[in-house]
Amino acid sequence: MSKNKKKVSLSYRLLWPIRNEKWQPITIPVFSILISFIAAAIVILLLGKNPIIAFYNLFQGAGIFPKASYAGYKSMLTDFLSLLNAMTPLIFASLAVAVALKAGLFNIGVSGQMLVSGFLATIIVGYSGLDAFIAKPLVLMIGIVAGGLMGGLVGWLKYKFNIHEVVTTIMLNYIAQYVISFFIHMYYIDPVSRQSKYITEAARLTLVDVELANLKMDISLGFILAIAIAIFIKFLMDKTVVGYEIKAVGSNRNAAKYTGIKVGKNTVLAMVISGSLAGLAGVTYYLGYFASIQPKVLSNIGFDSIAVALLGNTHPIGIIFSSFLVSIIDEGSTYMSSQAGIRQEIASVIIGLILLFSACGAYLKHKVSSLKEKEVERKDSES
Amino acid sequence: MSDYIVEMKHITKRFPGIVANDDVSLGIKKGEIFALLGENGAGKSTLMSILSGMYEPDEGEIYIRGEKVQIKSPNHAANLNIGMVHQHFKLVDDYTITENIILGMEPISKFAGLFPYVNIRNANRTIEELSKSFGLEVDPKKKIADLTVSMQQRVEILKVLYREAEILIFDEPTAVLTPQEIDFLLGIIEGLRNSGKTIILITHKLEEIKKVADRCAVLNKGKLVDVLDVKTTSINLMAQLMVGREVSFESEKAPAQFKEEVLKVEHLTVKNEDGFEVVQDVSFTIHGGEIFAIAGVADNGQVEIADAIAGLTKASGGKIFLNGKDITHDSIRNRTETGISYIPEDRQRYGLFLDFDLSTNLGAKQYYKEPFSNKGILKSLEFEQFGSRLIDKYDIRSGQGIHTQVRSMSGGNQQKAIIAREIELQSPLMIFVQPTRGVDIGAIENIHNMIIQQRDQGKAILLVSLELDEIMNVADTIGVIYNGRLQKVASSESLTTNEVGEYMMGARHE
Amino acid sequence: MDTIIIDGLSFALPLFIMAIGGIYSEKSGITNLALEGFQGFGAFIGALSAVLIANAYGTDVENLFYVALLFAMIGGMGFSVIHAVLSIKFKANQVISGVVINILALALTTFLTTQINALVFGAASDKFRLGVSERFTIEGLADIPVIGAVFTDVYPFQVIIIVIAIFAWYVLYKTRFGLHLRASGENPHSVDAAGVDVAKIRFSAVLISGLLSGLAGMCFAYSISAQFSSSIYMGYGFLAIAALIFGNWKILPTLAACLLFGFAKSGGTFISQALALPSSFTDLFMILPYVLTLLLLIFFSKSNQAPRALGEIYDKGKR
Repeated sequence: MSKNKKKVSLSYRLLWPIRNEKWQPITIPVFSILISFIAAAIVILLLGKNPIIAFYNLFQGAGIFPKASYAGYKSMLTDFLSLLNAMTPLIFASLAVAVALKAGLFNIGVSGQMLVSGFLATIIVGYSGLDAFIAKPLVLMIGIVAGGLMGGLVGWLKYKFNIHEVVTTIMLNYIAQYVISFFIHMYYIDPVSRQSKYITEAARLTLVDVELANLKMDISLGFILAIAIAIFIKFLMDKTVVGYEIKAVGSNRNAAKYTGIKVGKNTVLAMVISGSLAGLAGVTYYLGYFASIQPKVLSNIGFDSIAVALLGNTHPIGIIFSSFLVSIIDEGSTYMSSQAGIRQEIASVIIGLILLFSACGAYLKHKVSSLKEKEVERKDSES
Repeated sequence: MSDYIVEMKHITKRFPGIVANDDVSLGIKKGEIFALLGENGAGKSTLMSILSGMYEPDEGEIYIRGEKVQIKSPNHAANLNIGMVHQHFKLVDDYTITENIILGMEPISKFAGLFPYVNIRNANRTIEELSKSFGLEVDPKKKIADLTVSMQQRVEILKVLYREAEILIFDEPTAVLTPQEIDFLLGIIEGLRNSGKTIILITHKLEEIKKVADRCAVLNKGKLVDVLDVKTTSINLMAQLMVGREVSFESEKAPAQFKEEVLKVEHLTVKNEDGFEVVQDVSFTIHGGEIFAIAGVADNGQVEIADAIAGLTKASGGKIFLNGKDITHDSIRNRTETGISYIPEDRQRYGLFLDFDLSTNLGAKQYYKEPFSNKGILKSLEFEQFGSRLIDKYDIRSGQGIHTQVRSMSGGNQQKAIIAREIELQSPLMIFVQPTRGVDIGAIENIHNMIIQQRDQGKAILLVSLELDEIMNVADTIGVIYNGRLQKVASSESLTTNEVGEYMMGARHE
Repeated sequence: MDTIIIDGLSFALPLFIMAIGGIYSEKSGITNLALEGFQGFGAFIGALSAVLIANAYGTDVENLFYVALLFAMIGGMGFSVIHAVLSIKFKANQVISGVVINILALALTTFLTTQINALVFGAASDKFRLGVSERFTIEGLADIPVIGAVFTDVYPFQVIIIVIAIFAWYVLYKTRFGLHLRASGENPHSVDAAGVDVAKIRFSAVLISGLLSGLAGMCFAYSISAQFSSSIYMGYGFLAIAALIFGNWKILPTLAACLLFGFAKSGGTFISQALALPSSFTDLFMILPYVLTLLLLIFFSKSNQAPRALGEIYDKGKR
C-alpha cells in the first residue's frame, strides 16, 4: 500500500508542471514539444552529433538566429520572410481543420481541397496573363469558392446520406489527386520539370525576389491575410450566433437539434468555411510558395495540419504559434543538414514526434486530474 | 459455520467526493429473497457491484458460504456462483440469444480434432432446455434486436443461470416493465427461490418487496439503517426508514380548472426510420390548466408523440394545432417561438451541452434573439446575468456558479437547469418526458410540485411517464398508449391503476 | 486479357489481406486509418532485414523474400502498438491517432532509410533495392482458357495470403476470440460484463491489423515497386479502407471489392495500352474504386452498417 503511494507522488511530480487546468491549453503542447526535442536530441547524440548545435542550426536556417555568413542578396530577414511564406498555407490549413473540429467533424480532406482550388486557380488565372490587381484577388476568390464547394459537398453528403466525413474526404482526396494528375499530364505539363507549367508572376501570391536594400526577398502577401483571418475565425467562433450554433452542433448534435438549431445547415456551413480555408491554403501553396503543381502528389500540409491544429488546441491564435514552430523545423532543416551533417529528414521525424505526443494530450489531462485526486486523498490520510 | 450464504462485514467504499457505502454489514440466508431498499444514490447498486466483482471495497470483508473471499472480477464472482441481472441490459443487438448467453463461456468443439470452434448448435440446445426448466420460454436463435424489453430481461436472467449462479442479484428489474410483466417476473423470482436459489433484489418499489421478499435491508446515504422482516413491517415504516423522514405519497393538488384549448392533435401518425408506424392515428386535446399524461410501456410511441409535437420528428400524417395555429410543418424553432417548452427524456443526450458552461446552457433556447444577441453578435454579459438569476430562482447547485461545466453537475441539478430554462420561456404548452427519471425522492416531490404549479398558472401540460404511480398522482387526464394507438382517454379519477395497466398491455381497449 | 487477371490478382490480394487487418481492428471497435503507416513501416523493417542479411551473408536479396516477409509482419505489428496504446490505453481520438501514425511512419522510414544507407552501405540513397519475387505457373491448370490466368505467373505470396485469409475468416467467425472481438465492436459493455477484457481483445485486434498490413506492404515492395522507398506510401492503406467499407466490414464481400479494385487498376492500364492512349489515362481508371465506394455509400448507406461502437472510447466505469 505504501509503495503504491510513493509511486503516485513520483508521477505526480513528473506531471507537476502541467498541473494547473487553466494553463493546460498552453502547458500540455509545450510539454509535448519538449519531450519531442529531448527524443530527437537522443537520436542526434546517438549519431554522434551535438544536439544543441543542431537545434541552433535549425533556428538559424529559419531566420530566427543569424547565420555565420550569407550568400549574396540574402540575410536573416530574407530567411525569416521565407519562413513566413512557408508558414502561410499551414496556418490556413490548420484553421480549416480547427473549424471543422469545432463542429465535431474531421476534415481529412484538406489536401484534396487544396489541390482542387490550387489547380483551378492555376488554370483559370495562372496562365491568363491578367493584370496583377485583378489576378491576385481572383486567385483568392477561386480558392475560397472552390475549397468551399468541395467542403460543402462533404458536409452535404454527411447531412443528406449520413456518410462519415472521414470516408468522404479520403475518397475525394484520391479522386482529386488522380483526376488533376490526368489533366496536368494531358494539357498543362512542363516537359522538363514534369510538373505543371509555371504560372505568371502576376497571379502569384508571393512576391518573389523583391529587391530592397540590396536584398532579394520573397514576400508572402497571404501571410497578413492568414493572421487577419485567424483573428476573424476566433471572433466568429466565440462571439457570434454562427459560432455558437457550429459549436453547439459539434458538442452535441441531438441537443443542438432539440434547441432548434438546424444541424444540417450548420454541418454544411462549417464544412464550407473549413473548405474555404483549405482553398486559401491551396492557393497560397500552389500559387504562392510554389508556382506549379506536381502531379499525383497530395501535399503533406493537409495531414500535418490536423496535428498542428491539435497542437494549437484548435484555437486560432494557438494555431499561429504551432504553425510557426512546425514551419521553423521544416524550413531550418536544410541549413541544419548542411551545417551539422545530420540528415534533413530528421526534421519530419521531430514534427512527427511532436504530433504524436500532442495526440496524447487528453490522456495527460485526465492523468493529471486523477493524480490530483489521489494526491489529495494521500494528504488527507497522512494528516 | 454461520447459516448465512453471503456475509458482508463493515464494507466501506469511497468515490471521489462521496462515501458510497459506509461501514455496511449484512447477512443473507440461503434460499431467501432478500431485498435492498433505498433511494437513488443510497448505495444499493455500489454494494451489489462489490459483491459481483465490479468494484473492490476500500475496507471490509466478504464471506461466501462461510469462507472469506476477495472478489476481484465479475468472472471471479461467477466462479463463486454469484450473478447479477443488470438494470441496463448488456446485450449485443446483432447476436442471437444463444450467442449473448454463452459470451465468455462458450462450449468448444474441434474440427478435425485440431481447430477449436464455438459449437453454437450444442449451445442452442442447452439454452433451450435451460429456459424451459425455469419457465422462461425463449427462442435461442432469435436476435436480440427483435426482442421486447421483457424478453431481453429474460435473456439477462438466463445468462446468469447459464453460469450456474446460486446467488442472483436483480438490479431494479421492474423499472421498465408493465404491471402484468412485473407480476410475471416476480413469479419467476419466487420460482427461482423455490428451486433453492438465493435472490437479492435491489429496488425502491415498496409493493414489490411486500409481495415477494422475505427480509429487507434499508440503506440511506450509504449507511445501513435497518434489516427488517418484511411480513411484520408496514410499507409506511419502510418508506420512512428509506427516506429518513415521513413522506407523503401524494402531491397536494387543487382541483384542475380547465381553460381554453391549447394543444389539439388530430389523427397524428409517425413513422420511424424503417418506415414502421410507431404512432397511429392519435388524437387528443389539452386545455390550459390541464395535465394530460400519456401512460404506456416503454417504446410504445409515447416519446414519438412528444417529439412530433415539438418538431424533433416529422408527422407522416395528421395535424397539430397550437393555440389554434397549424404547426404541423413548422420548424422546431418556430414551434418554440409559438409556445412550446420541452423537457426531454434523456437530459444528457438531448437537453444539455455537457461541455458548455451553465450560463451558456441556460441561454440555449434564446441565444439568437434580443437581449442575448444583437445582429448576430452574442452579448456575454446578458448570458451571465440571466444565468445568475436562474441559479437563485431555481436553486441550481453547481461548483463554480454560471461558469460550471454542466458535465460536472449532479443529475438532479442538471434536470433543474433544464426545467428552469424551459419554464423561463413562458410557453403556453409544456411537455415533460420522464421528468423524474434518475432523480432522488426529495427532488421528485419538488419536480411534481413545479409541474402542478405551472398547471395552476394556466399552462397546458403534456406529461409522458413510464412510472404509473407518477401518472396516477399528478395527471388530470390520462391517455393510455399501446402499440402506437391511444387505447383510452379519461379523467384520472375515473381510472384505477389496474385498469390503466390492462390498457397498457393491450389487454383492454375501447 | 490474361495480364488483366494476373496483374489484378497480384495487386488485389495484398490489398485484401490488409483490408482483413482493418476489419479485425474496426470490428473490435477501433477506427484504423493507420493501415497506410503500418504497411509502410512493416515493409521498411522487412526490406531492411533483407538488405542487412544479404549484405552480411552475401546472398541475393531476391532470395530472402520469406525472411523479409516474416520481419515485415513483426515490424508492422510492432509499429501498430503505438496505435493500440494511443487509442486504447491513452484514450486518444482514434482518427487523430491514425493520421499521426501515418505522418510518423513516413518521416521515420524516410529518415532511417537514408541514414542507414549512408551508415552501412556508404551510399546516398533513399531506397532499398529488392527486386521482384519469383513467380510460378501451375502447368495444366494454366492452360484452361480465361481461368488459366489465375494459375499463371503466380507470386508465392498470393498463396500465403489466401491461406492466411481463410484462417482469418475462421478465427473471426468460428472461434471464441472472434465472437468476443465482434461483440467488442458492437457493445463492449456486454463483453466486459461477461468477464472478458475488452482492452485486451481490442489490443490484439490492432496488432493483428499491423501484422497483416506489414505483410501486405512487403508484398507490394517485392512486386510492383521492386524496392522499398517512400513511394510505398501510395495510399494503398486508404484503398484497403475503401475496400472494407465497400465490403460492409465482412470478409468475403471485401474480397470482391479488392478484386474489383485490382481489376479496375490492371484493366485500366491494359485498355490505355491497347488503345494506345497516353499513360495518363490510367490515372482516370484509378479513381474508379473511390468513386464506386462513394456511390455505394450514397445509394446504400442504410444497408451499409459500421460496427456500432466503432471509434467510441470505452470507459469501464461508464454505463
